[in-house]
Amino acid sequence: MENHNANDLIKSLQRIYYFNKITFWLNGELITAEIPPAQTTLEFLHNNQHLYGTKCSCNEGDCGACTVVIAQVKEGNIVYEAINSCLYTAAKLHGKHLITIEGLGTLEQLHPIQQVMLENHSLQCGYCSPGFVMSLFALLANISHPDEEEILSALEGNLCRCSSYQSILRAAKELSENFTFNDIVPAWCRDIEKQLFSFKDASKLIEKSGNLFYPCTHYFIPQKLSELTDILANTPESVFIAGGTDLMVRMNVQKEEMPVLIDLSELQELKQITYTSRGIVIGAVVTYSDILHSGIIKTDLLSLYELVEKIASKQIRNFATLAGNIANASPIGDTLPLLSVLDASLTLFSSTGIRELPLRDFFLDYRKTRLNYQELIKEIVIPLPTQDAFIRTYKATKRKAVDISAVVSAVKIETESGKIKEAKLAFGGVATIPKLSHKFSELLIGKPSEEINPIEIAEIVSAEFNPISDVRGSKEYRQILIRNQVLNYLQEYVQGDTNE
Amino acid sequence: MNKSYPHINGKLHLTGSSRFIADEIPLPEMLYTKFLFSPVAHANIMELDTSESITIPGVEKVVTASDIPGINQIGLVIQDEPLFPEKEIMYMGQPLAMVLATSEKIAEAAVKLIHLKYEELPPIFEIDEADEKGEWYIPEKKIECGDVQKALSEADFTLQGITETPTQEHFYLETQRCRAIPGEDRQIILYTATQSTMEVQEVVSRLLNLPANRIIVEVPRLGGAFGGKERGATIWAAMAALGCFLTHKPVQVLLEREEDMRSTGKRHPFQGRWKVGFDAKGKIEALDIELLSNGGAYADLSIAILERAMFHADNAYFIPNVRIRGRACRTNLPPNTAFRGFGAPQAIFILESILDEIAKKLELDPIKLRQINAYRSGDITPYEQKVIECNLPDILERLAFNSNYDQLKEEIEKYNDEHRNSKQGLSIIPVKFGISFTTTHLNQASALLWIYIDGTASLTTSAVEMGQEVSTKCATVVSKVLGIPLENIRVESSNSQRVGNASPTAASTGTDLNGNASRNAAEKIRVRLLPLAQSMLKNQGIDGNMEKICFKDGTVFSSDSPETKIEFKDLIRQAYLSRIPLGANGYYSTPGISFDWNIGRGSPFQYFVFGAALAQVQIDLLTGEHQVLKVFIVHETGISLNEAIDLGQIEGAFIQCYGWCTCEDLPRDTTGHYLAINPSTYKIPTIRDLPSKIQIEMIPSGSKYASIFGSKAIGEPPFIYGLTVWFAIQNAIHSVKPDAILKFPATRESILLALN
Repeated sequence: MENHNANDLIKSLQRIYYFNKITFWLNGELITAEIPPAQTTLEFLHNNQHLYGTKCSCNEGDCGACTVVIAQVKEGNIVYEAINSCLYTAAKLHGKHLITIEGLGTLEQLHPIQQVMLENHSLQCGYCSPGFVMSLFALLANISHPDEEEILSALEGNLCRCSSYQSILRAAKELSENFTFNDIVPAWCRDIEKQLFSFKDASKLIEKSGNLFYPCTHYFIPQKLSELTDILANTPESVFIAGGTDLMVRMNVQKEEMPVLIDLSELQELKQITYTSRGIVIGAVVTYSDILHSGIIKTDLLSLYELVEKIASKQIRNFATLAGNIANASPIGDTLPLLSVLDASLTLFSSTGIRELPLRDFFLDYRKTRLNYQELIKEIVIPLPTQDAFIRTYKATKRKAVDISAVVSAVKIETESGKIKEAKLAFGGVATIPKLSHKFSELLIGKPSEEINPIEIAEIVSAEFNPISDVRGSKEYRQILIRNQVLNYLQEYVQGDTNE
Repeated sequence: MNKSYPHINGKLHLTGSSRFIADEIPLPEMLYTKFLFSPVAHANIMELDTSESITIPGVEKVVTASDIPGINQIGLVIQDEPLFPEKEIMYMGQPLAMVLATSEKIAEAAVKLIHLKYEELPPIFEIDEADEKGEWYIPEKKIECGDVQKALSEADFTLQGITETPTQEHFYLETQRCRAIPGEDRQIILYTATQSTMEVQEVVSRLLNLPANRIIVEVPRLGGAFGGKERGATIWAAMAALGCFLTHKPVQVLLEREEDMRSTGKRHPFQGRWKVGFDAKGKIEALDIELLSNGGAYADLSIAILERAMFHADNAYFIPNVRIRGRACRTNLPPNTAFRGFGAPQAIFILESILDEIAKKLELDPIKLRQINAYRSGDITPYEQKVIECNLPDILERLAFNSNYDQLKEEIEKYNDEHRNSKQGLSIIPVKFGISFTTTHLNQASALLWIYIDGTASLTTSAVEMGQEVSTKCATVVSKVLGIPLENIRVESSNSQRVGNASPTAASTGTDLNGNASRNAAEKIRVRLLPLAQSMLKNQGIDGNMEKICFKDGTVFSSDSPETKIEFKDLIRQAYLSRIPLGANGYYSTPGISFDWNIGRGSPFQYFVFGAALAQVQIDLLTGEHQVLKVFIVHETGISLNEAIDLGQIEGAFIQCYGWCTCEDLPRDTTGHYLAINPSTYKIPTIRDLPSKIQIEMIPSGSKYASIFGSKAIGEPPFIYGLTVWFAIQNAIHSVKPDAILKFPATRESILLALN
């Protein structure tokens, strides 16, 4: 509730809150904590535990200073994942192992990561250092001898304004060369791994009131869809949260209130990636990292794999979801053009049942979708493209990594007996919703590749859109991007074709 | 010489146990603050009604200008800046009122209940408009030598133009903050994230009408500053101090990232209006340049920044006839402030743009043009400081050698011929960076050194530690003089009670000034210890000359018989028993510098740092993407106190400038609102932005004028090297479109717009 006068504000101080009573491991110790609704892990560390080694610099998941590592069971394995604690709600920690900088190494006995960084002079002011240590810990705990690309991917979400990157990279390479995950993961972490498998306790809601002031009153974490249905029946005003990498920014920075949040990330039914007759089905709480770890995606949807690698940072990919990117309905949602050209559809769930909707019909207007009241995305269905389909995506950003696009696009061209059978091109960042180019399909379908004039088509497609100017780019720039992206795709397509 | 002794606080930082202000347990009864920030850039306040906000439970007080007990003035060089404006709002994001409450959330909610009525006034945001209206903090400044008009009229060629540089956000990872705690006898203890303890003390003392000895300023360290906390921290320290004074409770000011980016000043945008005359070989005969800066709403450090820009308008080149005129303009933006380089990068960018124009006009090789014009020892700068120990010609030659310049150029030409949608370019930039505060009196520092009974040492200096590792370097100096192992030396927080009247830690002078002050303190103790050491050695049968006594590795011995040692800690215990003072105050002021602005003449710098860089880039003509392929840097460090630190400074400065040149775009709307006020929209470099290859050669100079133990300042000079990337991108663009105009920064957007 927005408090525009003193009386409203005083009243809201008497609201009733439901805290999440959760059990989890913090740096090797099992603890039980009562978490105020929607409190972030970072706030919990600072306010409840008085652990200040984890730093807050932006509070919106863009700097990595607050990086911590979570160990949990996924698909029958223990994974160590770096996350931005400023966006990760503490209630999600239930049954997991939270590892912070305080857990790794002491002044007397540095952890190998700390020792090698010290020797390489990989720090200046030190404010970002704990975050870098934790990102490296997650990287090296999962894989031994990561290559340079894997190192950059693990560290691109950590900003260092002193710009010690060169010496950090030197340290990372040395660590990669000389240590395996057995040197990196301490014994006390290994001890808890077994307990993570057998953990069964349920979390509880605890009522609190009296001069408390939080932007949220309830934070539900249903485990099953049936449980969710019950919650929905009793809570008329609620907002769904999956990873929360967008929603928590709105709470942290824009100071939005979300009185009732329903966290979907524990819904067992929505955690899978599976093959079906309709194509590949991705559950709504599958994270970007889950997608990258999925053999199915890497084998059969390489275009999605390659795009997801370029989305946000490792810390964000570890809990942000594909369904969240769709439901969020940002005009520059990175995955939306690709999903559009792949003819993806959505399965929507509500208490009254499920329905199917093609993704391209899902968006109505700026951040408006066809989701009904209390309806959510259950899964994303992506038909398998033909083996030799030409599929590409491109993100135009200000910075190489961890940046939102000015224009993002995707193309799919399917060829049959020398002629283009299907051609789809979609853009984000050129209108209030992701858009397909009609001209592109019109001009290409039925044509053999030698009749394609990339420059001409690029100009026509560019004229089809009327983008706006904003902080990420001017209208003029976007217009050029549209043209050049089409040109790039078609030149590559034509060349690839003639090479065969 | 502990060449690469690790970061003295490295273990603390890497284990997350180093102390940063406000990243610590709340104090009992501590109040949190939130501000009402101005929603407009220029306006008269008609009404500021706080009555509703103070009725909220948990709100302790809502503070406005009328609560200030002393003078509502936080300006220092020019006293033009109120803590809270009483009538005229001068910039978007200016704090107008402060809520003190028991929690941040309550304070936040209460701010929304402050009612502001205002009458908008026409704002000024651009240099041109401010200059036209005569909105300068002080009248024009001038440096002149030779006869510019005559030389221009006689030159074979002349060119003229206008060159602009944009702003840059500091983006220190640790936002602005201060904790104020009430003490006895009206004392206020300020834990402030500032580069300048003295300034905070002086300003707060005046604001609260308290003697300076009641204001204690303590700085454990800073999580990055880059100039943004030299003056930028003062206003927030003053806020906390005022809140503490009024409530007698601890008060914490802690800006969120967006608050910080919206309300604090940034790098000064500059405009250079220039006319240059040169001969057919490219030798520059005359330069007439006006440097105008966008200073924002209040003077802040704008005058000193303008001065440094003027002193670097010649960069590394000898020009016989020069006129440099400078005007700092007042606009309705947050007061722009110090940022690594302090005006010099802006001026150097402008001059290097001029050189590029000359090279284009005469179709000259860029390195040749720079070699022709580079300073040589004995040349005189436009402000009549003699350039000595100048090794620029050698440095440029070395750079050409390291980069295999001629071959590289050929390779690039070949690449460009063979590729339609991808082009390469290169650029070379030398630097001559003047070291010393140009405000002469600031060139002084003190150090307080204690040797304790167990032989360990505690050192406090005027310097503030912010990642530049002035601590490691000062400890190295003490270690060298007294032979105390570095692990037995603690460099303490900066504190106005232990070291008073401290100049800001800035202008790359931290180690020069404070290293020398530390040396002075250590030498005082050494001198006092010598007679005792001599007699203790004598007891062991060594009858040594005092001059031969060495302090090394925690021991003391005579160089004649190094095997017979006494332990340093035994010497100290004995010294204490012998009533020899084991604490010393060191002091240093830079000799031989002065400047007279009335005539625009003098020697403002103790010495210059020389160096040069070359960058090779590749751009994609369809996407506007670029990749920095190779960077070569040759940099003169003097005798480095710690090569790992200096290397880190060069690498870091390069990347920070690279960010300014390429991705750190900070657009502003027509109402004066910065549009990129968070890291999701303001993009500083990440680890992915490193050049594919970077080779840095640090060369010792053997300079007689270098500072502590022959070392030279390192913080700012290498920042200039990052400019090579911008010019290399421009060079690549010019290979396909010779007249293309590339905007700064060279974002993908700028590159594509330049090409289309």
